[in-house]
Amino acid sequence: MKFAPPWLVAAVLAAALPGGALAQTPDVATMLKAADKFRASADNLQVETQITVLNADGSQDKERRYTVFAQAKRQSLVLMQSPAEKGQKVLMLGDDFWLLMPNSQRPLRITPMQKLLGDASTGDVATLSWADDYTGTLLGEEPCEAAGSPTKICWHLSLAAARKGVTYQRIELWVGKARFEPIKADLYVLSDKLAKQATFVTDKPSAPTMVTEMVLADKVSNHKTTHVRYLSRKDRVVPETWLNPMFLVKTPNLE
Amino acid sequence: MLLSPKRQLRLFLLCASLSALVAHAQGTANSEAEPLSTSVGAWDASGQLRTQWAQPRVADAGPLAMANAVQAGTAVVATPGATAEAELRARGHGFTSVATVQHQSLQGASAQNAQVQNQSWMNEVYASHDAGAWQFSAGKKIVSWDVGYAFRPNDLVQQEERRTLVSTTSIGRPVLTAERFNADSAWSLVAVNPVNTIDALGAQEAALAARAYLRDGAVDWHAFARAGQHTGASVGAAVAWVASDAVELHASARYARQVDSKAMATGSQINGVLSTNPWQASRLQDVAQALVGGTWTHVSQFSVLAEAWWDGSALSDDQWDAWGARNAQLQRFATMGAPASAVAGNLAWQAEAFGASSSLRRSNVFVRASWVQGAWTPAVDVLYTPADQGQAVSASVVWQGDRMQVQAGVRSYGGPGTAVMVQLPTQQTAYVHANWSF
Repeated sequence: MKFAPPWLVAAVLAAALPGGALAQTPDVATMLKAADKFRASADNLQVETQITVLNADGSQDKERRYTVFAQAKRQSLVLMQSPAEKGQKVLMLGDDFWLLMPNSQRPLRITPMQKLLGDASTGDVATLSWADDYTGTLLGEEPCEAAGSPTKICWHLSLAAARKGVTYQRIELWVGKARFEPIKADLYVLSDKLAKQATFVTDKPSAPTMVTEMVLADKVSNHKTTHVRYLSRKDRVVPETWLNPMFLVKTPNLE
Repeated sequence: MLLSPKRQLRLFLLCASLSALVAHAQGTANSEAEPLSTSVGAWDASGQLRTQWAQPRVADAGPLAMANAVQAGTAVVATPGATAEAELRARGHGFTSVATVQHQSLQGASAQNAQVQNQSWMNEVYASHDAGAWQFSAGKKIVSWDVGYAFRPNDLVQQEERRTLVSTTSIGRPVLTAERFNADSAWSLVAVNPVNTIDALGAQEAALAARAYLRDGAVDWHAFARAGQHTGASVGAAVAWVASDAVELHASARYARQVDSKAMATGSQINGVLSTNPWQASRLQDVAQALVGGTWTHVSQFSVLAEAWWDGSALSDDQWDAWGARNAQLQRFATMGAPASAVAGNLAWQAEAFGASSSLRRSNVFVRASWVQGAWTPAVDVLYTPADQGQAVSASVVWQGDRMQVQAGVRSYGGPGTAVMVQLPTQQTAYVHANWSF
């Protein structure tokens, strides 16, 4: 069984709400919710996402495009749009997953581990919700370097997985001191091995309102770099029928 | 809906035209702003170019090998050859079409026997209507049901061939469908082959089929029913359960009042060299089919699929024993001076047993292991039939690039001399397959 690549990226929903100025005495839960808002601005979104995987020498390995309908209650429908994956669809309802391959037009129930087949952790990074999936500890202030901007003082949070099924058991996360925008993260797997380092690109480095790109550097195997770009976001509530696993055989209207 | 070759050609040309527009659109699109999927107006088009080389090794046992040994050239056997295909997909305005054009070049025993074939077909061509919770469609469409991988007792509409060497797009069935969806359940009613006559057999039979689906957390429940024009009623049920992060378990069962099959007339009618084929269409009564299986996936992206099934529509052990005895009897006739052409023809008829059902034997065990390692996926699988210890072993490796996929593999049949699989016409097939998506 070969499953599609980093589709989960889907969920990524990266949209973004303006992260407003926040309390002076930071509470970890508040900080995580605020950081999440820079990636997902609303409960119900349609997001066009592009993933570009670069080899160690900078050449392009592959490019994938996804249309993601991210809905409330951790529900997402992902449509693969790249030629190599055209027609594949993934439905995620909380921790339940289904896959549709175009050749047979049959929705398959898959396990959380099977959803990782392909570019495993890329997808999981995309779908994780820090506030819902992790418990955090504030380690203090540290200087950190944001993408495309000079070093500044950040909050350093250490996150531990709070539920099963997440790829990374521990995340070291640095967020902006004023708005709590995510700046960088070290992602550790179950063996406590550093798997990837993520950096977050925002729309306006001086006054960020949303994350526009996430760059993942693979620290384990192939040393490839994955760029997750959020091409467009719009509020969209999809009909409940679209979130029925058997509806995967249908073609939803993207307009 | 059966399309004439002329209409198929028109639809194919429509797809081809759309693809040309697509290519033009791709050439002029700004990749930063335009999606990779290609849309022309409200039409969305895509496709795939495929090529495959297959190198079969003809078996030296079994009825076809015997037939050709008695009289060379009696039975056609598989020959090496290349296949090139173009698949074009177009979707828009409530219509979906998938068309395939194939060019096949097969080597023959001699240059004179080499074959070149060109053909085309519509995999799907249907209209659909979205009425919210209700969905309707009409045309030629793939409708696949059930939860198994190597065997699907409740694949009541498509009845897709399983365990092909390379997975390609199925060819749909003429259907009229009405479906209702809500958050956690779905109902489907399908009229399949609605215009076929009563003598159409197997997957071609006109039938009404229904499926009910219910999602209950980690469990998917399915119920099925079918009313065939001449086979009558059948009912079935299936379940898929995600038991843990790594394990999925599934089961499926079906009871059918009758199923189409083939059988050799029995008793004194079958004795000696015959002038007519003793293998005729038949119907089995009160047929049960059941499957249990599961998948396990490790975080290292190593996966195992295991399934075991009982297929009551396959020939029984007694029928295979009689088949083997008949093969031996015909071989003896060849040495006793019976006309070679008649004996060889009778032996060739014996190969009809292989197509009596989707399973050769009633009890089957299937195991597949695969490992995704970046762009590479090696896999090995074994189908084992306990009744005669037959084995079909496949090994393959797939490389997936950005748009190009290449795979190569080999499938071999083995077991003791009495195993049915050892007597299949082809003992081993090696293949290389490449496809490019656009």
